[in-house]
Order: sequence, then C-alpha cells, then structure tokens
Amino acid sequence: MIFRDFGMTTASLAGSLETKLAAVRGAGFSQVMVAAADVVSHPGGTAAGVRAVRESGLEVTGLEALRDFEGLDGALHGYKVDVAKAMLEVCAEIGGRLVLVEASGSAHASGDPASVTRDLCKLAMLAVPLGIRLAYKGQPWSRTARDFRQAADLVLRAGAPNLGVAVDAFDVLAGGVPQEDLDILDPGQTFLVQISDYLWQQVRSVEEEKATAAHFRVFPGEGAHSEALAQFVSRLDTIGYAGNYSFDVYNDDFLQMPPEAVCRRARRAALWLAETVLRRVLPVPNVERLRAARA
Amino acid sequence: MTPPADREAIPEPRNPLGIDGVEFIEIATSRPQALGSVLETLGFRPVARHRSREVELYRQGTMNLVVNAQPADVPLAVVPTERPVISAFALRVRDAQVAFRRALELGAWEMPARAQAMELNIPAIHGVGESLIYFVDRYGEFSIYDIDFRAIPTVEAHPPAVAGMHWFGIVQYVGPDRTADWTAFYSQLMGFTPIPDEVRFGIMPSGLLLESPCRKFFLQLIEPEDSARFADMDEHLQRIGIGTPDVPAAVASLEKRGVGFLATDRVKPSERGALTRPLAGGMMFELVKSVREGEAR
Repeated sequence: MIFRDFGMTTASLAGSLETKLAAVRGAGFSQVMVAAADVVSHPGGTAAGVRAVRESGLEVTGLEALRDFEGLDGALHGYKVDVAKAMLEVCAEIGGRLVLVEASGSAHASGDPASVTRDLCKLAMLAVPLGIRLAYKGQPWSRTARDFRQAADLVLRAGAPNLGVAVDAFDVLAGGVPQEDLDILDPGQTFLVQISDYLWQQVRSVEEEKATAAHFRVFPGEGAHSEALAQFVSRLDTIGYAGNYSFDVYNDDFLQMPPEAVCRRARRAALWLAETVLRRVLPVPNVERLRAARA
Repeated sequence: MTPPADREAIPEPRNPLGIDGVEFIEIATSRPQALGSVLETLGFRPVARHRSREVELYRQGTMNLVVNAQPADVPLAVVPTERPVISAFALRVRDAQVAFRRALELGAWEMPARAQAMELNIPAIHGVGESLIYFVDRYGEFSIYDIDFRAIPTVEAHPPAVAGMHWFGIVQYVGPDRTADWTAFYSQLMGFTPIPDEVRFGIMPSGLLLESPCRKFFLQLIEPEDSARFADMDEHLQRIGIGTPDVPAAVASLEKRGVGFLATDRVKPSERGALTRPLAGGMMFELVKSVREGEAR
C-alpha cells in the first residue's frame, strides 16, 4: 500500500469504537491512532474496547493522549504517575507501542526544565518494561513546551531513548513556526507526525488557535494551507523522517457525519500526500526494513 | 550559594545503591521436581523449603537458586508453566528500602508484595516481561532464607560448587531496537554500565553487555537477528550465565553428572565457554570462563 505509514485517529470519528475501526479499515488504512477514551468508555468495558482494537486487524499507531504530566509536585505528581501507568497499561493491552504525551497546560506545572526533564525521564523509564515509546508534543498554551522546538530540546535533555518528539503540522502552520526549523529534528528521535489543515488563512491569538485546533481542523488538501502542508511533509521526508503520519483532524462537523464518509476524506488526503506530494509511485516494500536501514 | 554542579561536573557515585552482586535467581515452573533433578545434575542441592509456599531453595557454593512453583495470585506475576522461566533475580544492596524507593522515584513499577516468592517484605520492581527484580539487604550472616525457609534436615546447608562455579550473569532477549531502552533502564535505575564491544566473555558474543556497578555480574541484552526481527516475541530473561575458572573441567564434571552441552560448528564447548542443551523443557545455562565472582576482567 502506498500510504501504509498514514493512519486515522478514532477521536476524529463519530460512532462506536467498532464502527470507527471498521470505517478506518474500510477506507484502506492499515493503522489507527486510538483515543484512550474510546477504549475505556466502551459500553462493554475496557476489556471489550481492548478486544475491539485487537480484532480490528489494524495496527495501533499509538494511544492518545497523556496530558499535564510533567512539572508537578508532591501529591499531584503521584496522582499523575498513576494516570500515566494506567495509560501505559491500556496501550500495551491494545498492542500499541507509543503513547502521545502532550506538554502540560496545567497552571500548577513548573516550567523549570530540570524538573520537567526529570519527570519525562521517569515516564520514559515507566514505559520501558512495557515496550512503549513516548512521543512528546509541544502545545502553544503549554507552560513546559510551546512547540516542537522546545519539546525537542526537553527530549534531548532527558536523554531517554524511548522518549521522542511528536510534531503537529497544525501547530507549525497556525503558530507561524518557520518550516526551516524542522531541520533541527533528529529523525531517529521523532516518533510521530500529526497532520491536518484548517480553513482560516490566519489565527490571531492563542485562544483562537486553541479553538481552531479543537473544532475546525480539516484533512490535508481540504484547507487553506495545502502548499505549506506539502512543504512540511516534503521537509520531514528530506530530513529522513521514517515514522508514521496520523490524521489528527478534530472537527465538529465530522463528528456529525458518517465515519465512513470522513474516512473517505482521510483516504483522499493520504493519497494526495503520498502520490502528489511525496511522489511515491511504488508501494513501500517494507517500512520496517526501511526504518532499520535508515537508523 | 551556587550548587556545585553548576561550576563543575561532579559525577554521580558509580554505585548509588551499593549493589553487591546477586543474592539469588528465581525460576518459575509448574514441574518443580523435574527442574530440581536437572538442577542437581548441574551441582545444585535442595537445601531449604519455604514455610508456606511451594518454593524451594537450591544452592551450590555462592549461588542461591529459588524454584517457585506457587501459582501466582496477582496479575503481572509469572504464572508457573511447565516450561521453566527465569522469573526474577535479586540484587544485594546496601539498604533494600532505600534502593527500592530510589528506583520508584526514577520510574520503576512497584510490584505488589503478595506476588513475591518471599514472605519477608522484600521489595521488588517490574523487570523484563513478567519478571521481577528484588532488592535484598540481608545477606551474609543473617539471611532472608533464615526467616522464610526451613532447612531440609540432614542436607549440607552449603554444598560446595562444582568446578568453582559462581553467578556470572543473565542473558535477556529484547525486541528489535530495544537495546538502548533497556540500557537506559538498567543504568539509570541501577547503575549498570555498557562495556566496550571488544570485551567479550564466553562463546556467545552477540548483543550488548552491561556490567553491574559492583563489577560482579553482567546482563547481556540480545536483539533478534534478521528475519526474526519481524516475528512477534516477548522479551524475557533467556538463560543464566555461570562463571568458572576452568570451563573444560566444569564441562567434564557436568557431563559426567549427565548434563548435555551443545556441540555444533558454531557453538561448542571451548576454553572460553560452553552452552548446555535446553534442559527441563527449555532452560539453558551458559558456562563462561571467569576466575572468581567479580574477577572476570
């Protein structure tokens, strides 16, 4: 398949977990990013949610998202460690190898890099026995990492091999981050790229960005920044990024549409990126081998 | 005052936990007698039984080996199967509680006390696969076995080792590209350090060797090769390394006792080491030339 490394997200779709997974599979995707809430809120319980993912025939891109973990003290820190452990366990149960960690937006979080890296390192060690990698993503409203550049810096400081960076195309486009800055990324320590567009030409404030990020994203090729997105993906390809792309498209309209219709749009976006942007003409023979060769 | 670390690099102590070798290795099996008879061919003798659980202590020389046949009642603990598995190893440390708390602080998983083979409160953390790593600070004159175990009457409590054998290390199979993750785990949590690739022991040179901070014990991390990289395989502790100053002598006396060794073109007994055939349904033991505990190099 020409877009093996592109996956849908359950959070972008309406319906039961089984319906979402079937729609993703039906559109020809081989992997899916799973929202933890979709697994644990399954009407049949977490075990049934886990079974649905395992039986879907889809690979798990990862589990999302652990939030507000780093930079806390005392009881808050202990509480978040318990939350993190539960997420790591769910991830391992669904056969996932990656948890998305979003940089803390908590007002209680310390922005002190030393305490943030200590916590990230601890999280990485917790993930080792379960065979899980962590993709740490900056957020414009975070106190610890506002974008992938700061996230990459913290990841580097933490120095844990199973801790890497997640880059969200939306944050790069909406935040006005220069695309040249993608060159600072170590492709081996970049674990996930989330990709989506949006409909406005510009966002004027962090508040507007937050609202747009949560409600008005569209698929690549459907928004106002196709050219910039094409550059974004080409640039990542050039620096040697060989990980997965996940369509992280939060849109209120899509949550009122049949998941099959939304997945068709996702498929169109994947084909556009793979064929037109990345000019792939042959199926990627074996992504794992390719990754090994690049590593 | 400026913290000293801001002015000059003061290295962390090499052995923050005061690790001092391995107190015991634990093997889980639902057929403890079958395993026991194999262990006896290797020179181990049953010396004590657990007071309340289906757990036996085997010993030779400085090596303690716990055979655990107690069906585990807590998730994540190893459920004994017919095929014996290495289910835990215990590190001797200066203060078990301090070591345990430090490990948790750095990101280890605490294991529930009931999952452990010992009743004495021996703290344990989650190791590879379903295995545990215990921290033990009672060794030497007053040992953990005095409390949990009852000596088997008429049996020599300290049977001598065959050919000076002693614990050398444990081989751990890890997934593709997972060596770095486990290296970080063992070095950050316990102070193990990778040793250079050109330093090799025994006849099985693959993977990365991590040396304990006390220099008495090794962990060898081995990734799958070639097409095995794409097969699903759980990570686990694969085999036990036993050191001996004289490998051929050890091989000769163990063969006399009925232990079979692999002898193929690639792997055969030599001065440097030897590998047993799979015993008791899959356990392998590797002999490695090593003068005395802690004196391999």
